[in-house]
Amino acid sequence: MLTYFVVIPVLIASLLFVFSDNKSARVLAIILQTAFTAFSFYLVLLTRGGDTVTIVGGYIDFLGIYLRIYSVSAVFMLLTSIIFLVVAVYSFNMTDSRTFWFLLFILEAALTGLYFTRDLFNIFVLVEVSTVVVIILLMFNRERRQMFGGMVFLMLNIVAMQFYLLGLAYVYKLTGAFDIAYVSDAIALSDRADLILPYALIMTAIAFKCSIIPLFSFTPKTQLYPAAPCAVAAILSGVQIKTNVYLFIRLQEVFGSFASHDFFLVVGIAASITGVILAISQTNIKMILAYHTMSQVGLIIIGLSSGGYYSQIGGLYHVVSHGIFKSALFLTAGIIYRSYGTCDVYKIKGVLKRLPLTGVVTLAAVLGITGAPLFIGSVSKYFISYDVPTWLMWTTNIISLGTIISFIKYSGILFGKDNGLQGKAVETDKWRIIPTTALGIMCLAGGVFGQQLINFLFDANVSISLSSYLEKSLIFFASLAIGYLIYKYAVKGNQVLKRLANLNFSFKSVCMSMGVFFGLTLIFVGIL
Amino acid sequence: MIANIIPLDYFAVIMFFISFFGIITSRNIIKSIIFILLMQTAVIMFWLFLGARYGTAPPIVYELGMLDDLSAFADPMPQALMLTAIIIGVSVTAINITMLNALFRKYKTADWLIISDIARKEESDD
Repeated sequence: MLTYFVVIPVLIASLLFVFSDNKSARVLAIILQTAFTAFSFYLVLLTRGGDTVTIVGGYIDFLGIYLRIYSVSAVFMLLTSIIFLVVAVYSFNMTDSRTFWFLLFILEAALTGLYFTRDLFNIFVLVEVSTVVVIILLMFNRERRQMFGGMVFLMLNIVAMQFYLLGLAYVYKLTGAFDIAYVSDAIALSDRADLILPYALIMTAIAFKCSIIPLFSFTPKTQLYPAAPCAVAAILSGVQIKTNVYLFIRLQEVFGSFASHDFFLVVGIAASITGVILAISQTNIKMILAYHTMSQVGLIIIGLSSGGYYSQIGGLYHVVSHGIFKSALFLTAGIIYRSYGTCDVYKIKGVLKRLPLTGVVTLAAVLGITGAPLFIGSVSKYFISYDVPTWLMWTTNIISLGTIISFIKYSGILFGKDNGLQGKAVETDKWRIIPTTALGIMCLAGGVFGQQLINFLFDANVSISLSSYLEKSLIFFASLAIGYLIYKYAVKGNQVLKRLANLNFSFKSVCMSMGVFFGLTLIFVGIL
Repeated sequence: MIANIIPLDYFAVIMFFISFFGIITSRNIIKSIIFILLMQTAVIMFWLFLGARYGTAPPIVYELGMLDDLSAFADPMPQALMLTAIIIGVSVTAINITMLNALFRKYKTADWLIISDIARKEESDD
């Protein structure tokens, strides 16, 4: 049955490739995608009763290729199909290009395959496919500068995947299998000393793909996001990075007791703090959002690595909430850019007056990402810092403070007097307004019904106690006040931050930091 | 033979890290691409050495009795998988070179530093 989930997006893609200039074909594709989302919802229900497995080709045991879905991957799958539906509706009038529509759904098929596969080599193949597709989508505007960024991004990804492939070779040497279930059984029995090198190699690749390492993947983001189509940026930030987080979860599971959670806790903290500082320094609205992805992924990694049950659930729910508010922010940023013709955060003013609905959605998403009470981010951040040590709780509070500061800067675009900047078009396209509004509603609904939603999605049994939620809300308002003061007196016009904003990492330095990360993992896992 | 003293896979790993060093140090984009190719070759070599130890036969069965001793054969799995890896490597390299071609036509250079300087200036002009 699971095979159909990979095949359906490919069929939609082929349909659109043939009839790309026909609007009714696109309507049909959106209807099919809606049905696909409904089926993904059904998968979430199906995993209640345990895992579902499909054996491709009929070979049993470790020789066959297994597709497997369990409660976590079903949620990732649901999130992916929702975001793709939203993006497909959003770009309905954007382009007639058959390349765009074809690749959009091929990407969905590749990501679906990644969620399902239980084969380590298939992961390599599907990651390469999705990388190439994303890069072609990013360069869709065919600007030469984007091409440079795209090339750097592609080369870095190839280098990272060579690390993965070499690590996989070691795993195969040790275990003689590719199937995740068999490999993890065999790894549990093998010698610790043999596992150091494959673990370091594989995790270097995965950590690069998650963009959690400080100094990492800045280059692609600095050069790609600003000029890339917002719809693609929403997918890249909302879904594709989540896929790599999913791979991170899976591979940490494969290595079982050998996997080092402390190391990734430190890396997650470092990544989120660096991401937040760089986000504060930016002046381009898309760049602020792009750097924020890094810090939020760091927060997810903190939640997943800190070891507590609640914080793990919080980390998983933060994947969902980040997917929703980040794609809402990117899509509304696209509308704002079209209306104002600029991405400069200081030049855009009065969005709430000119584009009321878009402004409200942006506000909802900003409240979501900063963790305002009743919005989606507050629930996931509440759980991430629920059962962690006190120092870690305050670290997450400081990260939230950084998020608040950068979004005080960002929400400056919403208020004030309209300064009359004119872009290409005043937005009246209902195909763009409906999906963004839906995402805005989800930001609120995911917060109000957060507890029920978590219990439903992850089959968990968690509850929010009112007193500690109120305490968190008080911390939020306190940090809002502190954040405003810091923004007003320390951030505005700060020369150090201005210099930070122009920080640019070349291909070579990113490669070097990949090597350094590899060395650090080796040392940490091997010696400590 | 030297392969009897030092296992061949060590050579592949050494080659992997030498080409990684090359990627970090080369200033020309074409050289970087070549070093990436070299890195891929090292990984593929490592995989093939996993299956084909010195003295093993090709995994082709032409007599039924041969199946009794499976350890005499090379492992066919890595060979089959590396075919896929080679194809992926070729196609991503092709995409890479296509992009480099487009960049070279615009900037008339394949130097990392010069191209990234120009790209950064263009960015600040926006």
